[in-house]
Amino acid sequence: MLWRWLIFIWIAAFMIAAFAWAPLVPVLEATTRVLYFHIPAAWVTVLALGWSMIHSALYLWKRDMRHDDQAAAAAELGLLFCVVATVSGSLWAKAMWGSYWNWDPRETSIFFVLLLYAAYLALRGSIEGEEKRARLSAVYSVIAFVAVPFLMFVVPRIYFSLHPEVIDLSRGKVDMDPRIRICFSGMLVGFTFLYFWLQSLKVRVTRLERRALVS
Amino acid sequence: MPRSWSSSMAAVWAVLRKECRSEWRTRYGLNAALLFAVASLAAVSFSAGRLGERTDVLAALFWIVLLFATLASMSHAFVRETENRTMLLLRLVASPTEIALGKLLFNLVFLLVVEVAIVPLFMVLMSAPPPRWGSFLTVLGLGTVSLAASSTLVGAVIAQTRGRGALFAGVSLPLLLPVLAAAVSGTKAQWIGVGLDGEIRLLIAYAVALLGMSLLLYEHLWED
Amino acid sequence: MTAAGMVTTPQTVSLSAIGLTHRYGRRIALQPLEFELTSPGVVAVTGANGSGKSTLLRIVAGILRPSGGALSFALLGKGIKPLERRHAIGLATPELAFYEEFTARENLAFLAETRALAQPGQAVQNALECVQLETRADDRVADYSSGMKQRLRLASAILHRPAVLLLDEPGGHLDAEGRAVVERIVRQESTRSLVLLATNDPEEMRLATKLVELNGRGLGGPS
Repeated sequence: MLWRWLIFIWIAAFMIAAFAWAPLVPVLEATTRVLYFHIPAAWVTVLALGWSMIHSALYLWKRDMRHDDQAAAAAELGLLFCVVATVSGSLWAKAMWGSYWNWDPRETSIFFVLLLYAAYLALRGSIEGEEKRARLSAVYSVIAFVAVPFLMFVVPRIYFSLHPEVIDLSRGKVDMDPRIRICFSGMLVGFTFLYFWLQSLKVRVTRLERRALVS
Repeated sequence: MPRSWSSSMAAVWAVLRKECRSEWRTRYGLNAALLFAVASLAAVSFSAGRLGERTDVLAALFWIVLLFATLASMSHAFVRETENRTMLLLRLVASPTEIALGKLLFNLVFLLVVEVAIVPLFMVLMSAPPPRWGSFLTVLGLGTVSLAASSTLVGAVIAQTRGRGALFAGVSLPLLLPVLAAAVSGTKAQWIGVGLDGEIRLLIAYAVALLGMSLLLYEHLWED
Repeated sequence: MTAAGMVTTPQTVSLSAIGLTHRYGRRIALQPLEFELTSPGVVAVTGANGSGKSTLLRIVAGILRPSGGALSFALLGKGIKPLERRHAIGLATPELAFYEEFTARENLAFLAETRALAQPGQAVQNALECVQLETRADDRVADYSSGMKQRLRLASAILHRPAVLLLDEPGGHLDAEGRAVVERIVRQESTRSLVLLATNDPEEMRLATKLVELNGRGLGGPS
């Protein structure tokens, strides 16, 4: 309960700061503000999908249904944040590049990730039997995560992309105004906590549903 | 009673031979794949006309025709076992990994046979410029390995779902998209005559990652 | 009789179940069960329809992971994990189906090769003779009657002379002659291995020296 309010206030505070306090990046101008949603959402997408894969692997190892609950909840939330990242990116693309969708490598790869996890959830829906569903979707989730690093990091680097590299690992230094950096880090932290709060909520609901079913 | 490496190999080999013989007798998969390939090639070349200059379109068409012709029949390897209720028999004599490896090898053989038919047909019907064979076959071979590896694992999973074949393409394609992207780009590059080391590295890395992960996952495929 | 040519040294097997149970979702397929069995011998597994006879046999065979309790399977004192048990067991169950596009002999030959038996041809021939299928051995399974398929199931289970033979309703679909085949197989194997016979047929239960009764409520009678 306390967490909910803390996260709410935290994100609200940084949102206001991002609009009122932080300066704009020269080329991006007003679209700079998308950054504070778009990148944290993309980060949470990767985080959630990683969380899902880790729990899938743990399920295969330990055979504890609690890991399957975690994996399923993380995949659903990952998909949700992936949609947020895609839509915010698309709006940004409309403002900067002139159209919502250009099949830029970045757009392509996030679209593939979207498909991957939609497929995971479709697969879950079509397997009967709790154990079997947990086991087979865990197998798919683990193999699907092989594709994620390729889609997120390798493909956009092989093909030429117009997507700005805000955090360019090859340059080693983050080239950013300190105020932007503070807001941006704050949003990253806020989104991360938001994700874990949603995750714990979803897992609890799943558990309650199961208990209602057994008794 | 720990089994030696050689008797495991014997099991894999026996499964592969059984698959080949079964396919030869029934020819469900092969007929479907070849028919699909010829029909789609004819439709594309009829409606698109000569594309000899447009190597980007040619490369994309080639992989799409190949993927769809084979995907339609590749889920069959496991779905057939489930539908004929022979999976139990197989599990009683071989470990999940042995079964999956046998099927993986069969899928590779199957793809090679289909490709031997599709490649010349494509070149002739689409009046494609002659490829640089070394690069072209490297890209084709690496793409084939990834295709076979993903189809084997996904096929085994899909065969145990309610819809069986229905979900196969939908669940396989997202896994194959990185392969498709790299293979199309590599195929285009060899026609244009530019370097394709990046694509080949990507294809190798992806095939190795898929195969390695599959080997770890096979033993969890069947338990009830 | 072909038995004489097939005698091999007996391998001592011990099976013990502690609180062994299985459920499919909410449905309990096997009530908690305890037993201690050693080879050689014939054990009848009895119980109402739906009390879990087939489930128990599948768990012993290592192809079904029990949802509760433990089953230990030891061969010559060494524990064997579920995935490795297939070499030590032979299972004949009504759900077992064969490749219809192959002949009976091809089916058995495939099994023998996959099991990497030393003399696959000889093993197949012996098994076919034992179930009296040799005259029809080169017909495709698609043309088999249900009784002949049942004989083929028995042949597949004894092909590799397993240390534990699991027979689920072995007399199903069989004529008088076929039932005699079952009886002969059980008697012959019981001298060297452990035979688990899931059955409610009094004739077959007579063959057993020990009894494991499953008290599941089955189709819903009083518990």
